[in-house]
Amino acid sequence: MGRKPRPPIERHGAGFRFNLDLEEREMVHRLMGEMRALLEDPDDGDGRLKRIFPTAYHQDGDQALDDEYQRLMREEILASRLKGLDVVDEFMNAASGDRANATEAQMMAFLQALNGIRLVLGTMLDVDEAHDLDDIAEDHPLAGEYNLYDFLSWMLDWSVRAVQS
Amino acid sequence: MSIAPAPIVVDRPDQDESVAPDIPWIVLVWNDPINLMSYVTFVFQKLFGYSIEKATELMLDVHEKGRAVVSNGTREKAELDVFRLHEHGLWATMQRDDA
Repeated sequence: MGRKPRPPIERHGAGFRFNLDLEEREMVHRLMGEMRALLEDPDDGDGRLKRIFPTAYHQDGDQALDDEYQRLMREEILASRLKGLDVVDEFMNAASGDRANATEAQMMAFLQALNGIRLVLGTMLDVDEAHDLDDIAEDHPLAGEYNLYDFLSWMLDWSVRAVQS
Repeated sequence: MSIAPAPIVVDRPDQDESVAPDIPWIVLVWNDPINLMSYVTFVFQKLFGYSIEKATELMLDVHEKGRAVVSNGTREKAELDVFRLHEHGLWATMQRDDA
């Protein structure tokens, strides 16, 4: 996927402007849809969601506290993530041409949604600290997924730069 | 954490030094290979109002030492902080501060 001289996401006035081409926008839209499908019917044993619903109490002897946390907060996290996807859908669908604009609140939802997808994909790929796309052979059976992971990393990093600028 | 470009410095108030000595729970963020360093720094700034310097220092502690204490307080406060960190995708847990 080509890298353009213009940042894919930049601060613009009181909000943010997305300078994504059609292919990139469709990719984001598809990934957000896949994330929504995963979250709308989550399976307790789905390893892909391990990082979406992490342990809160890690010490021996606190299992009952963690069980209670999971019982109370799992639905909250799920609702929060689905609401975030709704917000992203709203402004991405309102895009005109190659441009989409987001408010500060919409941008925060975008960051969390993007990061959530990276967590799921990174968990599926079992990436480690030394992950480098250059090490993945073009004919690797998961080359497409690794490319997607790096695309998300690129977009998330630009998003963070935009909100910190 | 994944390596990312150095965060851009922004002018934010530093509100991070108010740590009471007798508070019973601490919130830890653990190193993980997925979250970007820039994103982790940003989340610390956003959730706790930490300065870019403090947020970066904590992020580097997580990255280099494997974990960092990012907040403390009552169990209820710590649990809320853990929840907000989980909402943002960070690997956070809590424990009694018996150090």
